[in-house]
Formats: sequence, C-alpha cells, structure tokens
Amino acid sequence: MNYVGTIGEKDVKVGVREVGVARYVVTIDGKEHLVDVHKVQSSVWSVLYGTTSFEVDVHGKGEECEVLIAGDCYKFTLVNEQRKAMLRAGGKSAVGKAMVASPMPGKVVKLLVREGEEVKTDQGVIVVEAMKMENELKSAITGKVKEIFVKEGEVVESGAKLLLVE
Amino acid sequence: MFKKILIANRGEIAVRVERACREMGIRSVAVFSEVDRHALHVRCADEAHLIGPPTASESYLVIDKIIDVARKSGAEAIHPGYGFLAENPGFAERCEKEKIKLIGPSAYAMRTMGSKTLARKTVQAAGVPVVPGTVDAISSEEEVFRVAKEIGFPVMLKATAGGGGKGLRLVREEGELRSSLRMAKSEAKSAFGDDSVYIEKYIEQPRHVEIQILGDRHGNYVHLFERECSIQRRHQKVIEESPSVIVTPGMRAAMGKVAIEAARVVKYEGAGTCEFLVDKDRNFFFLEMNTRLQVEHPVTEMVTGVDIVKEQIRIAAGEELSIRQEDVRQIGHAIECRVYAEDPDRNFFPCPGLITSLRTPGGPGVRDDSGVFEGFEIPIYYDPIISKLVAWGKDRAEAIARMKRALTEYVITGVKTTIPFHIRVMNNRHFIKGDFDTDFIDKVFFKEEGERTLEHGDVAVITAAVRMYLDERVRTMAQNPAEGTSPVSMWKYSTRPGMRRHG
Repeated sequence: MNYVGTIGEKDVKVGVREVGVARYVVTIDGKEHLVDVHKVQSSVWSVLYGTTSFEVDVHGKGEECEVLIAGDCYKFTLVNEQRKAMLRAGGKSAVGKAMVASPMPGKVVKLLVREGEEVKTDQGVIVVEAMKMENELKSAITGKVKEIFVKEGEVVESGAKLLLVE
Repeated sequence: MFKKILIANRGEIAVRVERACREMGIRSVAVFSEVDRHALHVRCADEAHLIGPPTASESYLVIDKIIDVARKSGAEAIHPGYGFLAENPGFAERCEKEKIKLIGPSAYAMRTMGSKTLARKTVQAAGVPVVPGTVDAISSEEEVFRVAKEIGFPVMLKATAGGGGKGLRLVREEGELRSSLRMAKSEAKSAFGDDSVYIEKYIEQPRHVEIQILGDRHGNYVHLFERECSIQRRHQKVIEESPSVIVTPGMRAAMGKVAIEAARVVKYEGAGTCEFLVDKDRNFFFLEMNTRLQVEHPVTEMVTGVDIVKEQIRIAAGEELSIRQEDVRQIGHAIECRVYAEDPDRNFFPCPGLITSLRTPGGPGVRDDSGVFEGFEIPIYYDPIISKLVAWGKDRAEAIARMKRALTEYVITGVKTTIPFHIRVMNNRHFIKGDFDTDFIDKVFFKEEGERTLEHGDVAVITAAVRMYLDERVRTMAQNPAEGTSPVSMWKYSTRPGMRRHG
C-alpha cells in the first residue's frame, strides 16, 4: 500500500509491504527499511528496526500523526495515495475552514474575538479554563471569524465546537 | 502514638501518607469526593468517607466536613498533605479548638509565615538575610524613588496582596519607575482590589534553593540540607534535586543554620521548608517559609534516608526528633520529575482522561510516588499531577542517567503526560552542566528545543505507516471479509514456531 507523508513542507512517498508475520518492508522515498512491528500496549508499539529496538507511541486522528520516541515528538501527516487523489479530485471543500474545538472539558473564560473579526494563524481566539489553568486556544488558519458557538461562562465538553474561522 | 489518622487530601500525596501510616501500624482514614470513589487514595486507606461533590470548595476544602469525619471515625490526628487546607491557619485553629492534632505547625506559626510581610519582619528580626527592600506597603511616590535609589536598580514592584504574577513590575532604571509604579498599582487594584505595593531589589538570574527542616515541641531542630528547585515553568517547580550544584559546604551549613533560626522564632513544629533566592555570587536571601510537607520532599528522603512523613507523625504525637544534626548525612544525589497530565507538545495543555495502560519504571534507585493506576480516570477538578518520579544515584551524573532510563521505561497511554518534556530536560546540555536559573525553562530551554533536529524520523513514519496499513486492512476485512485476507497464509503461521501472530 502506498502513502504520502508530509513532514513540514516536504512530501515523501511511503510504501508498506507485508513480508511475514508482523514483518514489513517500508519504503520511504525509495529507501527500504525492514521492520518487525508489534502493538504491545494500547497505543504503544514495539519496533525492531533490523535488530534495533524502539518503543513507539503513535497518536493522531485521521491523517494527523503524532509519534513519541524516547521523549521526542514527531508530527506529520500521512494519507493513503488513493485517498489523496480522490480528495484532490473532490475539490476544495475542506480547505480554508478551521474549527476551534475545546481539547478538554472546561469553562469558557473569555472570548478574545468577535464574529466577523479577521484573525491570523496562531492568534489566540478564546480562553478555556480547566484544572485550575487558563488556556488560550489559537486559530489554525488566517481568516475571518465566521461563527461563535459559545458564550463566556459556558461549560463545554471535550471536543465541543467553540468557533469557526473561515 | 496515634491509632488512627485522617488524611485530608487526595491523589499521590494522600497515598504517600497512607503508606507511612500502614508501615507504622496506624489506621488511615481517607476522605473522597463523588468523582474519587475509585481513586487510589481510597483503595490504599483503611477507611474512607464520602465528603461531597467533586468541586474542592464543596468537599476537600470544607473544614466542617473534614472535622465531622475525624469525629465520626475517631481519628486523633489529621494530615493535610499539601494544597487544600494544608496552609490554612483557620483550619489549624479549628483543629486546636476541637482537640484534634493537626500534623503540622501551630496556627500561629502558619499565620506568621503565611503572610509575606510578617514572615519577612519576623525572620529579619532573627538575623535571617532577606531580599533588600521595604517590608510594608509604600504610601508615596517620593518614598518609592527614595527606596529604589537606596537599594539600587534593578528593582521589583510587588502588590502587597499579590500572587500569580499580577501587580508585578520589573524596573531596570530610574526613568521607568514612575510609569511602572502606575501600572503596578492599577494592576493590583483590578486584580486584588488593593493598590498597595512594596519594593524589592531584583535578583538577576536567581536560583531557587530551599532548606528542609524538622522541629519538635521540645525545642529540637534539624535541617535535612537543601533542594534545588530552579527548574520551573511559569514559576511552577517541575524538577527538583538534592544536593544543589551551586551550594558549597560552607553555604549549606549557613543556610541550614538560618533556616533553623527562622523556624525557632515561631516555635515551629513539624516539617517545614525555608525557600531562598541565591544570586550569581552565591548570596542567599530568605523568600518564604512553607509550613507543610512539600511536593518535592522525596528527593530529601532519598539522599538522607529520613522518612519525613513518619517524622511528622512522630513529632505530632509529641515524641522527640529521632535524629540529631550530626547524624544526618547527604549521600549521593536525587532528582524528582513531576509527571503531570499535560501535553508538552501543545503548550502544556491539561489532559484529564482515562489511563488506558500503564507501565511503571522500576529497577535500582527508582521511586515512583503515584496516585493513579491503569483504568483510572483523571478528574478535571483537581491538579493534573499523576506521579512524582524520583531517581537516586551515587552522584549527579548517575542520577541523571538513571532518571532518563526510568523516564523512557515509563509508559502512560490514554492521556498526554509531561514525561517527554522531562526526557528532553535530562538531555539538555545546560541542565547536565548544572548551568541554569529560575528562567531557564521559559527563556533558554524551549528556544534550544525549537532548534534541535530529531533523530528517529524514519522510525516514526514507518510505525505510523504500518499502523495505518493495519487499520485499513481491518476496515477492508470488516467490509469485505472474503477479499481482505492476509497475504501470508494461515498455513505458514503454524510452520513458524516462535512467531506470534500480531493482534
């Protein structure tokens, strides 16, 4: 199976071929890597790269990957090549919109923007309090605040839609 | 000795006190809120009592409820842990009135040391060095100018009612003083409803070093040397160690003596900590006294072999200190990392949630003071601390190597934790050299981290790709079982002994 990985700005081609029980040849930009990969604990994988042993904690939803190895966090996207082709053909439906959602249950302390206001990438838009800490949430894109779904003082669940930037 | 002790706390510190109780043959009484029925501190106690709703102000902070449980259960003493009611003189007074022994100092000592200005006046009178500045709020602008010039720039303006960095202004030169004063006053007014400020010499590149003391009601005092707590993130300690690399033997003896003097003036009873700021010329200044057990007490226990919680209990029961100053030795080096349910790769966002799997580190010289277990859901209502991992080594280099080893063994899934952050600090060259101050994490470490290149990108991509491949295969098989079989035939599995099928 073929995938496209995006690390920073750069795309890499990734191929996965199963060659035995839990053994794979993974090709990254033409270079082959033989690995033995076992899921050992929840999101944790034991990887033998050749004979070198790694413990790898893999997170992320959909294309977004977040991988922890020895305390280092690797963030990238990975998408099935066929799916990527389909997405491209399907047009720009998802492009240019970014929902700011609450990453944890908490209380909306302050709205930092109003509907219709222009915001920049990484600009703080809302403050949510959880576990005695105030956390400023940021916009992932540059755009205009299309809609605000919550009021100050409101208690929100994890994953609750807070506001939409377009 | 007490037969029964109530622990007015939750989480890892409640478990820590329960462990001491069990080892001493004392029955422990836990209290818990509605969300904590499954919590470890309930499971590790001999008795447990429900005290109300999740919000601390309706349960763990309600003095009447705690006293009521103590009465009902027949507990003779209360250990407050840290946080919650631990430094509340009102609670201490109530215990005194109810004739229930609070394991800690008197309400008087707590009140004196709890007020920054009162503590400063009190210890200064006992000859303890404090940061130069005024003790009381300054009334007029002229006086601010006079004092600032007298102690020399840079100076710090601080709100008398302060806390949390509000009403705090650094002034580097005289020209900035007037406008800074105006801002500090207006900030203090809006944050605390009180615009009075005082002025202090600003210590540049300070290190935070504290002395652990123990005192009994018979007038015996010992200090258990220092802890270095300069590794802080936004003024919160995250890594502590003992000994400190900057403290010389002479300085250690002097600081210890001063800490005991400070304790003696308030007839301090129990375990306490004097916090000092140390400037780059190794001058030390009293900052404040914490009138409770500290989060970071295990590092001292590891290098001295003294069980501080047991000493607290013995002292509260009226016994004399079991150790004299000349018996206390500082052996080897210990480091503590506070493991929080926070995501270090998303600006330390709190991550409450279910711990889906857990592997605790072990082996030589490793101690894990934890408040969780696999299957426990970390509630959103309290501090997101999971555990304190402590490593001991014969010297600092071994302690760092051991801590790094233990951190990489520590696996917690389901919630993000600060373990990765701690590994990165253990690898940082400045940390390894002992070259840091209280601003190190916020000003130096994160910048250096941003510039670092990562080593195992290939392994990361490979594992993520294999995971995606397997997820897709499972999906395909679910949709179309006939076509989705594995390319490796079942026949081959049985002919390959020793190969386990991956689940």
